[in-house]
Amino acid sequence: MIGSLLFYVLYPFSRYLTTRRSETSKKGLPHAVVKGTAVWDGGAVATRRFTQSLQDQCLSQSSGTEGQTKERMKELSPEEEEEDRARPDTDVRQLLAALLEEKENEPAVMISKNQSGVEEKEADVRNGRQQDKMDAEKQKGEEMIVRVDVLHKKGNPADGSIFPTEDNHSEEPLGEHLKRVQTGEHMQEPTGPVQEQMQILTLKSQTCPDLHGQHDERAGWHFRVGPGLSEEVYCPLWQFPSASYYPPVEQLLPFEVMWRVWEEMEECTNAEKTLPFINPTMSFTVMSYNILAQYLLEANQELYIHCPLEVLDWSYRYNLIIEEIQKWAPDEVQENHYQEQLCPFLSQMGYTCVYKRRTGMKTDGCATCYRSSYFSEISLTELEFFKPETELLDRHNVGIVLLLQPWVTQGSKVKAKASPLCVANTHLLFNPRRGDVKLAQLAMMLSEIDCMVKSCQVKGEHCNVILCGDFNSLPHMPLYQLITTGELYYQGLPAWMISGQEDLSHKTHCYRLFAPLWPNSLGITDNCQYTAVNDLFENQNQESGRFQYSHNFMLQLRYCPAACVRPQDLKLIPGVTDNTPNASRENQPCDKRFRHSISHRLDLKSVYRHILPGSGNSEVTTLNSEVGATVDYIFYSPRRILTTDQKAGGDFVSRGLKLTGRLSLPSEDVLWSLKGLPNHIFPSDHLSLVAKFQLDLNAN
Amino acid sequence: MNNKFDALKDDDSGDHDQDQGSPKDSEKEKIEDEDKEQNTSKKKMVVPGAGEHPLQYNYTFWYSRRTPGRPASTQSYEQNIKQIGSFASVEQFWRFYSHMIRPGDLTGHSDFHLFKEGIKPMWEDDANKMGGKWIIRLRKGLASRCWENLILAMLGEQFMVGEEICGAVVSVRFQEDIISIWNKTASDQATTARIRDTLRRVLNLPPNTIMEYKTHTDSIKAWEDFHGLVNASGGR
Repeated sequence: MIGSLLFYVLYPFSRYLTTRRSETSKKGLPHAVVKGTAVWDGGAVATRRFTQSLQDQCLSQSSGTEGQTKERMKELSPEEEEEDRARPDTDVRQLLAALLEEKENEPAVMISKNQSGVEEKEADVRNGRQQDKMDAEKQKGEEMIVRVDVLHKKGNPADGSIFPTEDNHSEEPLGEHLKRVQTGEHMQEPTGPVQEQMQILTLKSQTCPDLHGQHDERAGWHFRVGPGLSEEVYCPLWQFPSASYYPPVEQLLPFEVMWRVWEEMEECTNAEKTLPFINPTMSFTVMSYNILAQYLLEANQELYIHCPLEVLDWSYRYNLIIEEIQKWAPDEVQENHYQEQLCPFLSQMGYTCVYKRRTGMKTDGCATCYRSSYFSEISLTELEFFKPETELLDRHNVGIVLLLQPWVTQGSKVKAKASPLCVANTHLLFNPRRGDVKLAQLAMMLSEIDCMVKSCQVKGEHCNVILCGDFNSLPHMPLYQLITTGELYYQGLPAWMISGQEDLSHKTHCYRLFAPLWPNSLGITDNCQYTAVNDLFENQNQESGRFQYSHNFMLQLRYCPAACVRPQDLKLIPGVTDNTPNASRENQPCDKRFRHSISHRLDLKSVYRHILPGSGNSEVTTLNSEVGATVDYIFYSPRRILTTDQKAGGDFVSRGLKLTGRLSLPSEDVLWSLKGLPNHIFPSDHLSLVAKFQLDLNAN
Repeated sequence: MNNKFDALKDDDSGDHDQDQGSPKDSEKEKIEDEDKEQNTSKKKMVVPGAGEHPLQYNYTFWYSRRTPGRPASTQSYEQNIKQIGSFASVEQFWRFYSHMIRPGDLTGHSDFHLFKEGIKPMWEDDANKMGGKWIIRLRKGLASRCWENLILAMLGEQFMVGEEICGAVVSVRFQEDIISIWNKTASDQATTARIRDTLRRVLNLPPNTIMEYKTHTDSIKAWEDFHGLVNASGGR
């Protein structure tokens, strides 16, 4: 502000100085410097040299090492100081920026800055902040234009002959300019922040090379987006015409941005490296996508007021959805809100589809589709969470649990099989206040999965699990914890906290969870297992002619009259007690400790980490006008290496799924820069989750 | 040598400090004597009562305890390993179990053993000599529940490895408790893998729980090395 005021006040004066300066420059300075001065071709070095030469000229102080540049600034004569201030304030800042840059990295300022500039832009794309930046830079760019003009005017009277050669040098400058303006802004503060910025730049540049590769070859989310980002941020072909007006953009080339990138993962434990053998493997991709049923969209229009009308149109959204599915060609698709239209399409693509419509009057549901060429169905359970006899379960949510046999075929012959895969898909209740219902629904889901896993174990097979869908719960909140840690102490927790979608702690009255979470009649234990499974076990085994008894069965006999009699000739030695067995007392020590928790024994891990690396922003999987958050997940049985004692034969067993890649998720601000969800790129108010897994094959 | 049984089964080698290395042979006689004694008192084989739920095998509970700080003497041996009793049905099992202290409430250096009737809880027993065991170390507080789960699974034939299972042990130690399950054939990897998987299932163990398989020949060797008895014992 002061700078610009001074500019107006001192303009005539500076004009005088400029004239004088260019006269001097004509005399002795290298040609480039003259040009640099006149047109601000962005050369930081040139600027510095200019300052130096200016000082040399005016103060007759030759020299000084580079380190002294700052002091030299202070030594400027009043005249020069005025002149400096007389220039637009960017001018001063640029100067400073240039000086500081030089101090930091003397020999290759131009080159390295140039690179890091480009990299920064790309890294930004990756970090998903590009749109904001772009806008900001657009503004900066415009400011710059004004300033360039001013300088042109200043330069003009001084030396008209500059312009003919100017073009050669201004070929690369806009990016430079922008960057310097950016840096310049930081320069107003002490050098601390500047260094920070530099560090960030280098960090980002490390990630750049592979990004570059991806940009060129594969895997992005390539879309046409209006005025090209690349033109805005990095544009070597732009030329400054001799006229003093900024040229119009010649052509808005369609241009591709990666909103989401494919991230290769290499989960490799040390134990795995030491494995003496390498198993043959198969890879498969899983997509979980809540595609937003049209009727729900129409019923909740207030959530989508930010959207252009056409993106809310079903046929428009439908096309984008199938485009997306085709793009990632997953081997399994799991969708919420499946519509009749999708089924024929997916069947045509080679998927076998299972669809479960929600109960009640709802017309949406869950679908799981898998490629028949890689998987065959072993068993299928369609779950309905609506249980009229249980008051708690009065909501019409559904789930699908599918047990698949993955295989590799050669012709019509099965070449190799892998362990069975249990794929579960659900959409839990939305209501943020009803964590109790969500937990009960989840427990039903987990029990069913457990049942399938057990059915494999009976055959001596390990079963890998993939559990995904829209859980309407935030990362690391109790419901999520139950899934990922296998245990949850729930006693006294407020019901809203289970999902954590909304913070309702301000409410004076809130419903809290107390044992039991669900009635026994539901037939589900606190371990998220069916009580009936044990009986089933028993019946099955009695056929084998052995006296087999399940845990629960044996417990039932614990206090039967025959079991309470003290055995004859039982001596009272240490370890033996003369207490009489007492159901009420005996029960307590063991059960009390575990009564207020629910648990499951599936080993599950989330594909996503929920926090973006680098920026630390939260990933979002859904966004509407009220909220943006992660509520969709893919959980899987992670690879575990089980090592038995070497001496017992050095038996290494690895099982589980190896995560080899995933489609990155953006942060909320990136989605808002695309005008929220749904938009022209992402057709639902949720994003698809895509993950790639590797599975060991058992040779057959 | 006051704690032969202890020593025979112990994996944590630091526990053998008291051992005085008294002649082995006399001990063996002792054991046999005791067996005779106990067998005479329970000459008849236990059978399930009417209407009870028979078990696939009969089992015997044992209890052992190391007397801390006591010098070795043949006399103290009897205090270290005791047969509690044998049973043939689920009801009979509970009858004993309900009159026993939970492992978590035991103090000192003590063990419960539950072995098939006729198999002694020692490495040298014919049923055990080619065998080994899965070992799980537990932090304090878990032993009672895990032990109960383990023996219910064993008695209920949940391991489904035929005749392979010999018995189970819970060892109460100073800072941790150890449960283990013994099987006949250490070299049978299919069986040991199956036992391990069943253990994980029935104990509801967290996936990262460390499970260790140890053959009895290794245990014997380690024990002998530790006590420098390789020569004295004349090679077992």
